[in-house]
Amino acid sequence: MEQPFNLTSEINNSRLIITTSGYVNNVGGEAIAQEFQRHFADGVRQVIINLGQSKVVNSVGMSFLIEIIEHLNDANGRLVFTNLDPAVEKMLAIMGLFQFAGKENTVEDALVSLAGQA
Amino acid sequence: MPEQTPADLLARQIASLGETFRTLSKATSLKDLAGRFCGFVQQHSGGSGVGLFHRPGGGEWQSLSPGTTDTTPRLPSIPEKDSFAVTPEDGGTRLLATQKLVDGSILGIAVAREPGSDTYTSDQIVSIRLSATLFDNAYQAYLHRHHEKELVFSLNHRLLQLNSLIDTGIEVAKLEQDVPPHQLALERAAALTNASMGSVTISRDGSVVDRITFPDALPADAPRSGESHIGAEFAFGGSTYLFELMNKESRKGVVPFEGTDKLLLDALSRQVQASLENRFLHQQSVEKEKMERDLAVAASIQQKILPETLPIIEGYDSAGINIPSKSVGGDYYDCIPLSDGRYALVIADVAGKGIPAALLVSTLHAYLSAYLESGMPLVDLSARLNRMIHRASTDDKFITAFFALLDPRTGSMETVNAGHNTVYWRRADGSVHELSLGGIPLGMLDMDLPYQSEKFTIGPGDRILLYTDGIPEAQNERNDLYESEVPLKDFFTRTVPDDAGTFIQQLIADVKRFTGNAPQADDITALYILRR
Repeated sequence: MEQPFNLTSEINNSRLIITTSGYVNNVGGEAIAQEFQRHFADGVRQVIINLGQSKVVNSVGMSFLIEIIEHLNDANGRLVFTNLDPAVEKMLAIMGLFQFAGKENTVEDALVSLAGQA
Repeated sequence: MPEQTPADLLARQIASLGETFRTLSKATSLKDLAGRFCGFVQQHSGGSGVGLFHRPGGGEWQSLSPGTTDTTPRLPSIPEKDSFAVTPEDGGTRLLATQKLVDGSILGIAVAREPGSDTYTSDQIVSIRLSATLFDNAYQAYLHRHHEKELVFSLNHRLLQLNSLIDTGIEVAKLEQDVPPHQLALERAAALTNASMGSVTISRDGSVVDRITFPDALPADAPRSGESHIGAEFAFGGSTYLFELMNKESRKGVVPFEGTDKLLLDALSRQVQASLENRFLHQQSVEKEKMERDLAVAASIQQKILPETLPIIEGYDSAGINIPSKSVGGDYYDCIPLSDGRYALVIADVAGKGIPAALLVSTLHAYLSAYLESGMPLVDLSARLNRMIHRASTDDKFITAFFALLDPRTGSMETVNAGHNTVYWRRADGSVHELSLGGIPLGMLDMDLPYQSEKFTIGPGDRILLYTDGIPEAQNERNDLYESEVPLKDFFTRTVPDDAGTFIQQLIADVKRFTGNAPQADDITALYILRR
């Protein structure tokens, strides 16, 4: 079963990497958004969200992810999702998130992808 | 530079307003719109500072430009039939204005010039009013876009719900999967309805036998009823599965579940029910298939025990038949030539059918073959077989059997009937003798009860019929017994063809005539021998 939500983050070459575990719902989505805002205010414009340990995402959680995408797109930034569970990937695709955000298999792939866009 | 006409000036102002509107319209939030508007007002009003405030319908004033002085208590009220009001302050170097916005909320504007600067002219006040109207239009565009986004999000979410319902149905229907179907359905139901948490409780006879929760632990105060709780329940295999979801989330906090949430939960729980039923049926099918394979193997062994052909006995004619009612029967017959020139005739019927019966027949066949060659008396052979079968079988299993040793050269015969149907001996003169002397069925009791044998001589024209109860107890569609219409003894007495094979054919044909389309309830076995 799904663990309680948890989040860690790190900066890699000015890129924010957020790694989550557990249910991305209102609480989880808000925690991700707050972590993003903290670094966005410091000028971070490229973000990777690793959802590998989050197998369940609801639409409230997704609305926070959409906000992050909008903020980044307005600031010519970029968000890349990685390590997506197939069910989560399909959910994000149906909700249209990949029209404005990227997806890669791993964080390493995402770093390479973002480095090419810098 | 040519002097600008009023028309040129107006055209330039209109173009400027149009450009400003386009800039304002790109705002992604109310604060963003306010930020863009502040810059515009500052530029066009010549003010050194601009403060913006917003008051939602029935709400409190909120500052849209943090850091500015709170002038909201002094903002003018808007006349009922107007949408704008303005009040000059500080000798006309500060303007406080309010603009009614499209959604009924109010925009507050405070613009001020440095002390000692020129006062605001009426044209500039008109310009402020135009700007406020521009803000309202941009705000309306922003609201439309926001509403459109919400609509698209909502439509996508409905699409997601439908898609996920189909996907979940497919996934829970899979017979091999890492997670139980009810766990998968619970996770999907929680995500699709935006529930904070949920559980599936499996109960049997009023006691909880298993409970899974999502996430791992639920708080003690999780609602169990009311508008923040929905449930769906079904019963399967004597157990009750109760799906529960609690606390529907929104960005503004917990909201009541909707009708579609309950529909989704019902649909997902029904998918789980269907999956459990399918798994059960599949398991049954696999077990049945395995049983049929085992039966086929046992039937193959059984067929090897039964004689393909009977030995040719000089001066005699014999024929036999075995028609099992199931793929593996419990009947056995044989005619075994012995090394001393005699022949052993045997017929047996195991209580029960299927593999256990076949195993017992196999055991009987093995012991019988060994004992017959030892030359021991038939009564001793029967007693030994009784002991061995008793040891080899369960209490409810036994074998009725009839053994005969025939010396074809003299026609002398010795028989033992171990609890089997009466065997008929028809003499050439038409008289019929019943051969029933013997003892208890083999394997029934291990108490050293003695067996008795009959010794007699069969002459030319004499016939003997050995059979199992599948013939006299064959039933027609009205459940009448063959024996009740055609006593076998009578049939045997009056049916005297020239060869054994014909008798067997006629007997089976008569039984089939009687039973018609009724299914065969028991094995049919017969052995017929006549002395020429």
